Amino acid sequence: MFETAPNLVTTTTPRPTNGHSSIYLPTVAQVVGVQTETVFEKVYTVRLPGGKNLGHRPGQFVMVSIPGVGEAPISVMSSPSRTHDTFRLCIRNAGDLTGVIHDTVLPGDSIGIRGPFGRGFPLEVFKGKDVLVAPGGLGMAPARSLIDEILDNRDEYGRLVVLYGAKNPSEILFREELRAWRQRDDIELFVTVDRPDESWVGHIGVITRLFPRVQINPFKTVAITIGPPVMYRFVVMELLGKGLTPDQIWMSFERRMKCGVGKCGHCQVNHRYSCQDGPAWTYAEALAFEEAL
Amino acid sequence: MPPKPKIAFFDFTSCEGCQLTVVDALQTHLGLLDLVEIVQFREAMSERGEDYQIAFIEGSCTRESDEARLRAIRAQAAVVIALGACAHLGGVNSMKNRWPIENVQTYVYGKHGRERYESYPARPISAVIEVDYAIPGCPIDRLEFIRFVQKLLQGRKPKLPDYPLCVECKLAENACLNKLGQPCLGPVTLAGCDAVCPSYGDGCEACRGFAPEANFAHMREILQGHGLSEVEIDAQFTMFNAYQLKAMGANAPLSTGAGNGSRRRTADAEKLPSSTFAAPKET
Amino acid sequence: MSLYILPKERLPGFVDNLRAGFRVVGPVRTETGFAFDTIHSADELALDYPTTILPPKKYLLPQRETLFTFHTGTSEQGARQIDVQPAFEDVQPTVILGVHTCDMHGIMLYDKVFTEGYRDEHYIARREQTYIVGIECLRPCDEASFCKDMGTLTAPPVYDLHMTAVDGMYLIDTGTEKGERLLLSNVEVHLATTEDIRRLSQTLSAKWPHFRHRLKMTKDQIPSLMTINYGSNIWDTLGERCLACGSCTNVCPTCFCFDVQDEMDLNMSEGQRSRIWDSCQLHEFALVAGGHNFRGSKASRVRHRMMRKGKYIQQVHSLTGCTGCGRCQRACLVDITIPGTLNALYDEMQIDLNPATGA
Repeated sequence: MFETAPNLVTTTTPRPTNGHSSIYLPTVAQVVGVQTETVFEKVYTVRLPGGKNLGHRPGQFVMVSIPGVGEAPISVMSSPSRTHDTFRLCIRNAGDLTGVIHDTVLPGDSIGIRGPFGRGFPLEVFKGKDVLVAPGGLGMAPARSLIDEILDNRDEYGRLVVLYGAKNPSEILFREELRAWRQRDDIELFVTVDRPDESWVGHIGVITRLFPRVQINPFKTVAITIGPPVMYRFVVMELLGKGLTPDQIWMSFERRMKCGVGKCGHCQVNHRYSCQDGPAWTYAEALAFEEAL
Repeated sequence: MPPKPKIAFFDFTSCEGCQLTVVDALQTHLGLLDLVEIVQFREAMSERGEDYQIAFIEGSCTRESDEARLRAIRAQAAVVIALGACAHLGGVNSMKNRWPIENVQTYVYGKHGRERYESYPARPISAVIEVDYAIPGCPIDRLEFIRFVQKLLQGRKPKLPDYPLCVECKLAENACLNKLGQPCLGPVTLAGCDAVCPSYGDGCEACRGFAPEANFAHMREILQGHGLSEVEIDAQFTMFNAYQLKAMGANAPLSTGAGNGSRRRTADAEKLPSSTFAAPKET
Repeated sequence: MSLYILPKERLPGFVDNLRAGFRVVGPVRTETGFAFDTIHSADELALDYPTTILPPKKYLLPQRETLFTFHTGTSEQGARQIDVQPAFEDVQPTVILGVHTCDMHGIMLYDKVFTEGYRDEHYIARREQTYIVGIECLRPCDEASFCKDMGTLTAPPVYDLHMTAVDGMYLIDTGTEKGERLLLSNVEVHLATTEDIRRLSQTLSAKWPHFRHRLKMTKDQIPSLMTINYGSNIWDTLGERCLACGSCTNVCPTCFCFDVQDEMDLNMSEGQRSRIWDSCQLHEFALVAGGHNFRGSKASRVRHRMMRKGKYIQQVHSLTGCTGCGRCQRACLVDITIPGTLNALYDEMQIDLNPATGA
């Protein structure tokens, strides 16, 4: 947690806080860059007070808020390796708050940040292994955090395979990076779209269509899939079909979240709180929750 | 500060109680006038400006000649808001939809009513023009109106509660009227009024419209448990929502089926009305 | 810490003395029943109350509570500026008198939920200034309660003071040192004699036959029962009946879920972020921005509530998820009850297990 302002306003009786403050109080951060990614997504570069490092792991999220409008969980898109005095968030215009962010937030504006929250991906488990990352749609944003982290510490990991599925060509995120990745020989990238337009010359179809194109060593591979709920069932089947076991497969669960700190109850998956124990889970863990998939 | 949005108020078939609530809100929350510029409000001022961006419309559409005026408002306003139950649902005006319109005209205005007074079944304004938002209630809730305007000014889509009234009743720790044997439609009605009627001991009559998951079958069972007849239960359901129930057609949760719950009892116009909420038969 | 004797006639004086330094709340008679409310004299106190609509949780986690206030403005360059100040609302020295043992179990769970993991300073601030004074239940509230089954008919260690009415006096057990100080500094009491303690023991042991069992299984069997029956048809049956009105969770002493909402003052620059009780029984509870609802059906929501009460809370916090207080049954208009559901699941299993009756 961030340090928060020590001065307090009490509405009833003053109370010494012994250095504690509210876990619900956001840190006021500054947006220092806004970049339009697609029709639906924009990338916001955020600077914490004093340029403090966010100190997150790939797969974690922050609660972003505009006081007076609301708060919502957003995955961190930057990798820890590229996070120094700023971090980046890829935000889709999908709801009340994100709509206002898209419409009104410009460089220089303040926003509220709490976090990072959640368990994130265990890089220590991934190290030394081949890593297969399969993001769908906006899942590419948190996947970016993991992919960049691996690329920046390339010697510590084995192969890096990225299978990316988007709805249509105009919704493909991070085109420049994808192009750069294609030029490298230490990352294998496959991209597919469900609904191609005339200009599209790549793969067509849902993400699972890409799986037959890659061969993996099931003894030394971990797979990470991040995307809409409907995608997981099918991606998991492909991965199991390649001989991976449920504890080699990681996934990130999107859930409604109101607090981020394991209290409000909205993100419960069976008895567990996605904001605390997730949002990244192994498939083996997910199998134990009836509500997971 | 960006220029204040210009807003206007219009009334159709209604008691104007919702506009009175707005007048009330303007008195208790003077700051509202710092946020918006009112250019037309017959209830409160004599000037009339036609350059409004936001139109609040009270009242339902009950005659053909209303339609052109509604369309003109729609053509001018960027945002149209149904203000209160009549505009939102059809409201109490739509009770008449349960009987043939000729019978209603004759019953209300006498035997020359049909020639002298134009009327057709009452409809919410959304049946005539596209409506962006509705502020429900009979009348509207003052604080909800203010919150609504604020959200609109923030560039947000105002969102209203989509859960039953029981939530607000429980938070207020009201004793449940249905448990006390008094009919209350809270379990099937949209919240947002802070359960004002049940808090004062009156059963909810669903003026805010039905909740999306309204469990009508079990609501009927609860009301039957209070000793209400099928006809009385129909009357409860159709107090504000006759238009919505009629639109449900054969699926309408009314004992009389067919949605309007009327023909069966109106074969003989002389016996009109048999509905519990209408005036007693003239003798 | 010891057992003390408070003669009943000294209770008014005790309450009056407490009122000098505390907000004193307790069960009072309302038009139609009882509710926890601030009391102004001991006459208002109805310590023999059967039950209330809302449990005393409302004094620890209010229905609506401001988390922080904010001020937003614009810099000279036109950028949005934000200032936030935490708020600790409704924090005041409070004595809650007459808490039933079931509700003490609810408070024990709350204490765990809001102090484990991330500490919820809003809750803790209030809790630290709150004294819990329990009252031993000697007769069942009504037909709806099943505290005996849930093991909540004895007081858990959350009380500062715990009173048991024995003849013309209250035997008061001191649960905490601060509770003992509260007692000794506000009323004249004397230590219980051997004879007093004998009468207390007699009273306690005599109460049990008045309470009946409603569950066909023991509470330790409930988590397994829930696990086995996750796929039962009963959830569809209950979902069809459910009004999705959220009454069961709002009145529940172990429900603590909340929504977070922002409100602006009329000046459109200041406002507050608040939390408001929320319910997993409402349609929107698990709906995400993309439109996917993880519990879209009423059946899945009823099941989630029952799972939480019967299993999940036990799994996470090692405490009972249902106190058997019966409030949800009293609040439900379509007769969805925890004992009814558990017993139906249990019966279904007996049919499955018994080949003679199995279909």
